[in-house]
Formats: sequence, C-alpha cells, structure tokens
Amino acid sequence: MTTMPIMKRNSLHLVCLVLFAWMASAPITEGQIRISKPAGEKITIQLAGLRAGDDEAARLFTQTLQGNLNRSGWFSVVRAGQAEVSVIGSVERRRDQLHVQCTVTGVGNRQQYLSKSYRHTASDARRLAHTVADEIVEAVTGRKGIASTRIVLVGVKDNAKELFLCDADGGNLMQLTHDRNIAVRPRWGPTSKQLTYTAYLQRFPDVFLVDLDSGNRTAVANYSGLNSGGVLSPDGQDMAVVLSKDGNPELYIKNLRSGRLTRLTNTPRANEASPSWSPDGRQIVYVSDQAGRPQLYIISRDGGAPRRVTSRGSENVAPDWGPNGLIAFASRVGGRYQIAIMDPQTEQVRYLDTPDYADYEDPSWAPNGRHLVCARRENFRSSIYVLDTMGDAPLRLTHQGGDWYSPAWSPE
Amino acid sequence: MIVVGVAVGLGVTGCKKRGAAQTGPGGVSPIGGVHGDSIYGEGLGPRFGMDGDYIEGQFQPVYYAYDSAQVSAAERGKLEEVAEYLRRNPGANIIVEGHCDERGSREYNLSLGERRALAARAYLVGLGIDGSRIQTRSYGSERPAAFGHNEEAWRQNRRAEFVVTQ
Repeated sequence: MTTMPIMKRNSLHLVCLVLFAWMASAPITEGQIRISKPAGEKITIQLAGLRAGDDEAARLFTQTLQGNLNRSGWFSVVRAGQAEVSVIGSVERRRDQLHVQCTVTGVGNRQQYLSKSYRHTASDARRLAHTVADEIVEAVTGRKGIASTRIVLVGVKDNAKELFLCDADGGNLMQLTHDRNIAVRPRWGPTSKQLTYTAYLQRFPDVFLVDLDSGNRTAVANYSGLNSGGVLSPDGQDMAVVLSKDGNPELYIKNLRSGRLTRLTNTPRANEASPSWSPDGRQIVYVSDQAGRPQLYIISRDGGAPRRVTSRGSENVAPDWGPNGLIAFASRVGGRYQIAIMDPQTEQVRYLDTPDYADYEDPSWAPNGRHLVCARRENFRSSIYVLDTMGDAPLRLTHQGGDWYSPAWSPE
Repeated sequence: MIVVGVAVGLGVTGCKKRGAAQTGPGGVSPIGGVHGDSIYGEGLGPRFGMDGDYIEGQFQPVYYAYDSAQVSAAERGKLEEVAEYLRRNPGANIIVEGHCDERGSREYNLSLGERRALAARAYLVGLGIDGSRIQTRSYGSERPAAFGHNEEAWRQNRRAEFVVTQ
C-alpha cells in the first residue's frame, strides 16, 4: 500500500527549520509518506462516517476520540464534507464488549492510512478511544500520539497532599495514594509502570519508588535529613537524588541494585534540587543557588565541574530534560514564572507565550516532545494546563476545584 | 571563649554570600567561614523520632529572611534556650523542622528548608550540643503556620520549629 502526500514531508522540515530552527523534530520513518502541515495549521478530519450505536459506551468512545484528535495538535475535527481525512466505520456494543471498525482515508487522494478492527471492555471505552486516536495520529502524520499516555499529579484533599493519575485529556482522574500525608513532586521512571516521589510516611521526607502494576511502594532513599527529587535514570539502574545526610543538601546518584551512592556536588553554602536526566543518561540538569539565586546547572553523571546554563530571569527552577533533548523549566521574569525551553547545546532559550498574569511552573514534557504539562497558579490557586510548543492555546486539564500541581507526563 | 569563637564562625557561614558569585569547580566558594564550613560539613547522625510522641511548641520558632538560611543575631537567643534545655535534659533529643514561605519551587523550598534546619542545628552544635542529638526535617513550603498570602504570613512561615523526642 502506498500513500500520497497532501504536502511533501520535506516541506514540513523546511517549516520546522524556519520556525523552530533549534527544536529537534521527531524522526519520521524513511519510506513512508505522511500528511504534514506548517505549525499552527491542522489537518481537517471528519468522524461523520463513524457510525456509533445508541449506547453510552459507544457515545463516550466517539466523544473521547474526537477530543483526543483535537488535542493531538495535528488535527481539527470538522463536519462532514469539509475534511481532508475521513474516518469511516462502526462503533458497536456487543454485551460487555465494544467493537470498533475504522478505516481512515484521504478524501482528496483516496489513500488508505489505516483500516483496523478493535475490541475492548465497554466499561473502558475511553481507553479504546485513546488507542484508536494514537493509531490514527501515527498513521496519518507519522508522529507518536499522546492520547494513551497518563499524567501523575499532586492534589490537595482534606488538607493532605495525595498522588493522583489522569489520562492525557484530564479524564479518568483517580486517587493513587490515600495516606493523609504530604506527597511531593512525582516523577515517572523510564516506563509508565514506575514512579518516584517524596513523602513523609515515616515522618521524614523519604523518596519512594512505586510499582504501579503491583501497587508496591519501597523507600529507595531514607537517609538522615532530606531525601528528595529522586528520579530514575533512563536505563532504570540509577536514581539521581538530593540528600542532606552529609550535612548539606547535595546531588547524588544512587545505584538501585548495589545501593552505592556517588556524590556529584560539593556546595557547603548552597542548595541543590530538582535533578533531571538527559535522554542518554550521561548528564543531569539540576537547580543550585551556589551563585546566589536558584539557576540551572548541568553536570556529568560521572561528576566533575558543573556548567551553569541559565542566566536570564531572577530564578530558573524545576527543569525537565525531554525526550527531544530540550530542557523545559520555570523561569521567573518580571516577578512571574513562565515556562521556558532551552537547547542545552547552544544554551538558547525560548519562552512560551502564556499571555496572562498567572504563574506557570513545574513543566513536564509529553513523550511527543511537542506538548508540556505544567501547573498554572493564579491568586494562589493552582490547576493543571497543557501547553503547546508549536503555538496552540493552553488547555486546562483539571476542572475540579481545589489545588492541583506538580504534574508529570508519562514516558509512553 | 571557644563557644563564642565557633558561634562567630557560624554567623559568617550561615550568611549566604550574595557577592560570592564566583565559585570554583564543584561550586565550593573559596570565601570565608573556615569554622562554619567544617560544621556544615558534619554529617547527620542516625535518625530517630520515626515513632513515639513529640513535644511540640515548647520553644519559640526561629525566623529567617527571604530566601536565606542565616540565623540572624536577633534570633540566636531562641537557640540558646533550646541548647540550655538540651544541656539540662541529657535524655532528650530534638528535631529541627525547617519551613519556607509559599513562594518559589516546592522542591527548591525543600532544600532551603533543610538548610534552615541545618543552620539552626549547626548553631546548637556550636553551643556545645552533641550533633547526634539533633535531627533535621524540612517541610519546605508544605506546612505553613500562617495561611495568608501576604508579607506577614510569609514572614511567619520562614521558620525553624523544634520538636522534642523522648
């Protein structure tokens, strides 16, 4: 089966070069031709040909699929007759199963991008919609979808700070911990089955590793003093962590198998915080106030002299080194936090456009390297937003009342 | 005399040298506070206080300036009271809890709160208290004492509290 381009993929590369010259673009598999658009322009897609039964699960499926495609960043779902891409097929409930058959074709070029049947528990219709959305995104654009990914976050409930999980569209919010304790800054491991975070389950701040399949939780750093910022290396063998056991908060690497600790920083007058690994696991970006205000530094995992990489802004904190090689962080400029993105090679920084007076903090990259999830704080209330590095407007993810913050986007 | 000397050294080291932006490899500042550095460098003893009862509110909190872990001269009397209590009650141990105001990154605040607790601990050690009797615990900005969102609330939240364990 061959596919025809609506726009040649080389033209996308040109657009990327012009608009996002320093932004790594996702690799596109050679030999496959996909639809590409300049940033900001969407591929129009219609779902009118997807016949859904008169059933709640079928309706939820269609509604979720539509939301997912709109949120993917690449599509705009439009009414019949106006679309470049058409999805036809059926969504049917048979007893406790939802059966979906869908064929995705280019309207103008009559090319078939996808034709597939799915079956899944009807009570989990949203999950199936996420799967189908991601397959459509990948088939048409050649890019990984994010609908099936999840976001872990902290929510305040009855004065306690608990971990919650939700889908990438904010739906399916579930409470993960019921500790009536303080949960701080969860982070994913290399897979979407492991989380690390800090909690006071033994009265002191310790780092815990959570296995989401089994529900097991293990203290992986519970030394005297502070244990925080624990984050697994890309190979899952090591954990970068901030410890104060030797008399001051410093950055360490702990090998999880042997338990061996390697100390990376030695700043008796300063704080270290918030480590994040480079995608190749060779370097760590972290926060240090060794020069006065908190700024970002990069250090080799083998130690040595750190390199300060930020200077603009009164403080630069909460870095997340993304799968695209770029570091997202919160930068305090003019008294307010904004999300900034840095290419660590050139140290060039770009601020994301969030044209209001709110604070945007704690960014975390989506695995597609395009979207970010972050906390938006206004009038001392915090909620979760998704930002788009290619210009789509910020989208609110949490609509519940209360405080929601420290989101982290799952790696897959 | 020795006590005074160490305390002065601490005063120097507790001060964040804003001017000392030029740091060497590893971020070790070549400036100041020889005594202080050696005390900051002392590791924490084994943890205690993971269970059992706490006695809270027995001592006045020590307050800190914005983004500072320095124990100011005005606050030192409070630590001298804590030290006096520990001298008179050799069976008692203490946990110093470091707190920050709500502004800034939560994780950075955890480290800053820990440094505040460690600075108070170092001062107590300088007053002759055995460091193994003092644990530190940072709550960062997670447990404010005052719930307002203004300068006065923030001032009250930048603090170290003292919990006695038995």
